[in-house]
Amino acid sequence: MPGIIENLVNELTRLPGIGRKTAQRLAFFILSMPEAEALSLAKAIQTVKEKARFCSRCFNITEKEICEICSDNSRDKSKVVVVEEPSNILVMERVKSFRCLYHVLLGALSPIDGITPEKLKIRELIDRVKHNGIQEIIIATNPNTKGEITAQYINELLRPLGVTVSRIAYGLPMGSDIEFADEVTLGKALEGRREL
Amino acid sequence: MLQRTEGIVLKTNLFGEADLIVTYITKDYGIIKTFAKSPRKVKSKFGSSLEPLTHSKISFWGKEDSSLPRLVQSDIVYPFHSLRSSLGCFLKVSEILELTLNFLPERDANNRVYSLLLNTLRAMEMDCRTELLLLFYKLKLLDFAGYLPMLNSCGRCGRKGNIFYLSSGTVLCNRCAKDSAPSKSLSPAVISLWMNLLGWDMNKLGRIKPAEKILQELTALIDEHVKYITERTLRTRTF
Repeated sequence: MPGIIENLVNELTRLPGIGRKTAQRLAFFILSMPEAEALSLAKAIQTVKEKARFCSRCFNITEKEICEICSDNSRDKSKVVVVEEPSNILVMERVKSFRCLYHVLLGALSPIDGITPEKLKIRELIDRVKHNGIQEIIIATNPNTKGEITAQYINELLRPLGVTVSRIAYGLPMGSDIEFADEVTLGKALEGRREL
Repeated sequence: MLQRTEGIVLKTNLFGEADLIVTYITKDYGIIKTFAKSPRKVKSKFGSSLEPLTHSKISFWGKEDSSLPRLVQSDIVYPFHSLRSSLGCFLKVSEILELTLNFLPERDANNRVYSLLLNTLRAMEMDCRTELLLLFYKLKLLDFAGYLPMLNSCGRCGRKGNIFYLSSGTVLCNRCAKDSAPSKSLSPAVISLWMNLLGWDMNKLGRIKPAEKILQELTALIDEHVKYITERTLRTRTF
């Protein structure tokens, strides 16, 4: 394989979920693309690396000082959903019926990995609650051990501030069978049951 | 080759888009790392069985000496969920997990440490506030791993002594100490607590209440010893 193609394949294999075979397929597809389209792809990668930054309020990815979600006046600004990563916002935004603000922690607490509260955007969240008239914080960290202890830690800090702190519900995914659920998930689903 | 054993999840690391590297302490293989495909997806067959502290029966596929066999099945025996659902408890348990990872080599079965960890988790589920249990685990782990500091007599000649030398990891008598710089003079109560903890069963721990000062003194000494051996402060201690 020519050196330049080999180089492109090697670069593409750095991407998540891309193995060598897929990288080769992509490399040859890029080679067959019209020059303008290929350069547009390269330019998009360059621009995103040059211009992408964190929103100074919520730490979502943006190209401006304040992201589009924080600048949107039609949103309910009394509620803030706390997530671990900016990519979580994309998923949350698919729920069209719930339009509020977000706060990205940029990770989750993990004592064994040395991820302490100082390494996350927790202090910034507390400052937002203190100064921006927020009434409810909805903690939507991942439903695993790291996400749980992060939620507990934030709850302990926020409770004295008089703000409502809620956690997204636990339970079984839609479309699944109870038969295949494990005891912890099922236990959480039973604990979080609600009256019909 | 398919291998089956039981183990406790010590740690998980994110890998790729939805995969995990799961570190277990197992009954038959000691500490092993396994690769789990897509457990982070909502409909994964692994469910919550790969969360830290989960005691489960596992099957993994790979060559006998494979550094990263593929986890194919994990059935929960007991989830120790209550230890994960309290921040205070989880911090203490995390210290136990980190110590275990630091002092045991990979792929070297140690049944005594495996049983010790399992019994300690069971005891912590009953009451995770006790510092004595944490100290008990540290001493037993150091003993089983071969790093236990000698406190009741000189570690070189067996004569009497009560001055602890951090660089030697033991108490030394005047004759053996020579030019070594002493670290700490130990009170008889600290030495007595050390001896009792090593001699006792875990189920007797609830019966005694050592003075807070003595407990703290021995804990501080063991923590210093651990720091000297590992050459760093435990990550869980920076929390």
